[in-house]
Amino acid sequence: MSAPVVARRRPRVGADVVAVLVAGVVAFPLYWMLLSALKPTTELMSGDALPYTLHPTLDAFARVLSVENVGRYLLNSVLVAAVAVPGAMICAFFAAVALTRYRFRLRTTLLVTVLVAQMVPVEALTIPLFFLFRSFGAVVPELGLNHLGSLMLVHIAFSTPFAIWMLRGFVAAVPEEVEEAARLDGASGPRFVRSILFPLVAPGLVAVSIFGFISTWNDFLYPRTFIISAQENQTLPLAILNFFKPDQNDWGAIMAGSVIMTLPVLVFFVFVQRHLVSGLAGAVKG
Amino acid sequence: MRSRTAAVALAATITLAATAACAPAQSGGSAAADDVQDGTLRVWLFSEVTQDPKEQVVDEAVAEFEADHEGVEVEVEYIPVDARSERFTGAFNDPSSAPDVAEIGNTDLAGFVDAGGLMDVTDAIADWDEGADIDPAVLATTEIDGASYAVPWYIGVRALYYRTDVFDELGLQPPASLAELEETARTVRAARPELVGIATGGAAQFAFLPYIWAHGGEIARQDADGAWTGTLDSAEAREGVAAYARLLGDDICPAQTCAEWGGNASVQEFVAGNAAMTIGGDFNRRAVDESAVGDRYAVVPLPGVEEGSIAPAFGGGNHLAVLSSTERRTLATEFVQLLAGKRYQQAMFDAMGNIPVFTDVQADVAEQVPAIAPFVETLAAGTAFVPVTPAWSTVDAQGVLPTMVQTVATGAADVEMATADATAALDAAFGAQ
Amino acid sequence: MTATHAALPAAGGATLPAAGGAPRPPRPLLSRRGRGTTTWARRWEPRFYLVPAVVVLGGLLAYPLYQLVVVSLYDYRQANVSGSAPLRFIGLQNYARLLGDEAFWTVLGNTVVFAGACVVATLAVGGALALLATRLRPWSRTVLFLASLGAWATPAMTGSAVWLFLFDPTLGFVNQTLTAIGLDGFAGHSWTYDKWSAFALVGAEIVWCSFPFVMVTLYAGIIGVPTEIQEAARLDGASTWRIALSIVAPILRPVLAIVTIQSIIWDFKVFTQIYVMTGGGGIAGQNLVLNVYSYQQAFAASQYGLGSAVGVITTLLLMVVTLAYLRALRRQGEEL
Repeated sequence: MSAPVVARRRPRVGADVVAVLVAGVVAFPLYWMLLSALKPTTELMSGDALPYTLHPTLDAFARVLSVENVGRYLLNSVLVAAVAVPGAMICAFFAAVALTRYRFRLRTTLLVTVLVAQMVPVEALTIPLFFLFRSFGAVVPELGLNHLGSLMLVHIAFSTPFAIWMLRGFVAAVPEEVEEAARLDGASGPRFVRSILFPLVAPGLVAVSIFGFISTWNDFLYPRTFIISAQENQTLPLAILNFFKPDQNDWGAIMAGSVIMTLPVLVFFVFVQRHLVSGLAGAVKG
Repeated sequence: MRSRTAAVALAATITLAATAACAPAQSGGSAAADDVQDGTLRVWLFSEVTQDPKEQVVDEAVAEFEADHEGVEVEVEYIPVDARSERFTGAFNDPSSAPDVAEIGNTDLAGFVDAGGLMDVTDAIADWDEGADIDPAVLATTEIDGASYAVPWYIGVRALYYRTDVFDELGLQPPASLAELEETARTVRAARPELVGIATGGAAQFAFLPYIWAHGGEIARQDADGAWTGTLDSAEAREGVAAYARLLGDDICPAQTCAEWGGNASVQEFVAGNAAMTIGGDFNRRAVDESAVGDRYAVVPLPGVEEGSIAPAFGGGNHLAVLSSTERRTLATEFVQLLAGKRYQQAMFDAMGNIPVFTDVQADVAEQVPAIAPFVETLAAGTAFVPVTPAWSTVDAQGVLPTMVQTVATGAADVEMATADATAALDAAFGAQ
Repeated sequence: MTATHAALPAAGGATLPAAGGAPRPPRPLLSRRGRGTTTWARRWEPRFYLVPAVVVLGGLLAYPLYQLVVVSLYDYRQANVSGSAPLRFIGLQNYARLLGDEAFWTVLGNTVVFAGACVVATLAVGGALALLATRLRPWSRTVLFLASLGAWATPAMTGSAVWLFLFDPTLGFVNQTLTAIGLDGFAGHSWTYDKWSAFALVGAEIVWCSFPFVMVTLYAGIIGVPTEIQEAARLDGASTWRIALSIVAPILRPVLAIVTIQSIIWDFKVFTQIYVMTGGGGIAGQNLVLNVYSYQQAFAASQYGLGSAVGVITTLLLMVVTLAYLRALRRQGEEL
């Protein structure tokens, strides 16, 4: 498939150089994060901000990983993301189908609601949600405070509106002709959605899921608010938060923790990179 | 048009009424009726910069407690100090997830009691053989309307750290009054421009408060019926603010860098060797000892206005409290009595350097470790405290004091205006209660 | 992926949702297919599809939002929450108190200016790099995207900490480098002392972590523009510039609308960056924005009623800004 005209110009070395320079600037803080994680504490706290270290050490990583239960925290983070992200994608996919391939009363109202849902500052919602989940907990303890279920549900809710919003494009991009053909072949609406629309939109789903994944993975406000005393249910960001100390932050450990937290997202990205662009383009590009 | 307005008003009224009918949630009474004698006792303590020594002492106490109480397991969680207000709020709002025992800061107490979160331990202290030896001034910081809601665990008090090598080199003596301190700081900065005269910050409120108190000012005054009124706009308090703000000048500690420092950042500068003096706590001693300037410093009480006097220090410190939602009242109280008892306070002093709250233990440790003498001396000279009212957490969260100091230091407002604004903010917070 | 290829021959030039202008839904099938045995099903299908989302959003967003409004009408502090003090309905007093507070208006002004600048800068950087990306060889594009995604994936808290670290007055790499190349004025220079310098620093961090979304989305949009249209225009003798302006730009408008709206929403709600980088709102609160203000004045101080009122105002403000933008779009012929 040929590139579009705007993008058609023969790639120029100049553009590549600029891109690499920009990438360097963008990556510099990341490099600094990694560097700070590898520097020995004395070097980190001394007056010289050298852009390299001659004595790299894994001490900071060891400090992070030696936090009691850090494996458990990691597992919890993975569990929450593993439930919340697909959950949000399922909700969003069907909602996007309904909102783009059908016209019905309240369609626009619902779209605007989805948009408005994203505008509420999540910090302000902690209080009402806290009480809501306390009530859930009275009925189903696993969905209540102090349990991972509450975090899963909250992140499904927080990831869904944006996912609906982004998915509309992909769903609408599947041409009407495909649907016509399916119907002529006798496929019912649900069957069309499941067997034809879903595979076509799948790359978009993967692309959009990265947004939900990043916000779920990095969130520390809700675990801190909801997981009151059950240490065994805390998530990874809270382990890092523990290195923010009253008198002296352990920067080495904080940076090491951040590296550890950023890595899975990067891996996830490398894994879905092609889907991300092709997905976002609402098209299937090789 | 009229009718439309009326309709809108009607709709608004109905909406308001409807929402009013559906009130927000309340936790309801949280005091537990049970007094279980076994199971898990959950304890929250604050995490520390150097946590290992604290953990060792606590582990020892836990082992002893578990040995004495069959079928009881003590689970200790170390929570970050900065995140404590959310954690406690959560615990108060969902009693079923709350711990049984918790370490609290003494400025937190009034707010936590107001929230109904802490159990009255007056009797537990009265019946306890060690209770009578608690420093009365410290015990007073656990009291609301005559009842104690926590057992004091240790005292945090600040004094003046200075660099002996710098002072010797410039032929300076430790200052004996606040005016001398200012002059000394200026002299150092003039002679050694790479140093700040005294590292102290616009947000270091516990370094700043002694200036108010030393000049005879107060943050607020309580009248007979218990209501608080801000008094930062009094002439005395204004003198204190002006004197402190003069420290944040280019010739001592440039506002450009110092205005945003809090207490920890200030001490950090001293530890890094960038300052000739700082106002630090007994709890900072270990960090300074371990730093590059560890063998070149000394501590004296922060002087007052009069030559040779001592400025009233902020009587900081932490308590151990029993949460009112506990189902193991007896066990929780006994654990507090053990960990806050003389033996473990002595152990905490040995491990962390925290000053004990028992007068006799205080005297003992001052004899054993001369380095804490200036802090004990400061304590003996009398300490002062922030207003004991739930509104203080509001004042604190809104940063009323730092904002006042910073606006003066940066020249955004003069002392009159800044103190008037701060007083208004105080009154608003007190009035909202 | 390959299966998808095979399944979509009809997609041809591979198109953006908006290939025809707006992401307009296909014609309503119901009316076209008329009545048949499937009519009932057709009518109820979308409703069924909406069930999961409506349940989740209704229960976990709409209801709490309603509660937020309710709470904002009460005197609701910690003592009221834990039941040791009675609830008191105070109507609009929380709002009256806010609107009567001079500091609130300053904060509101800060927020609008700061968030506005962040949105513009994010779009400019993201847009420019998206254009650049279309002219790159795959390897350099991958390098650019990887670096960007790294920035995107960094937790806000630590991203802010690293930036602060780099710009530390004495220990920071930036000042040390500037001093080393002879700009002595930067020795010990504090980037957070001046109000706008502090905002600029925080803004830079925000652009750093939010431009990747704009870049990737716009890039995807650009490469999704049907080649045929452009080829045709080119055959008609249109210049590249002209094609970009009059063919690609209009097609991209819906995508632009999405990234603009999202940037507005995210930047108006910024919290962590300001909180971490300016130490909770800067010297004497000069860098406070709405969300931090509400947290500090209300939630940290346990005045939930007041905090909820700020939350409601933030939401309303965002609605006004976004709806104004949507209206402007609609006037240009775009549609949701």
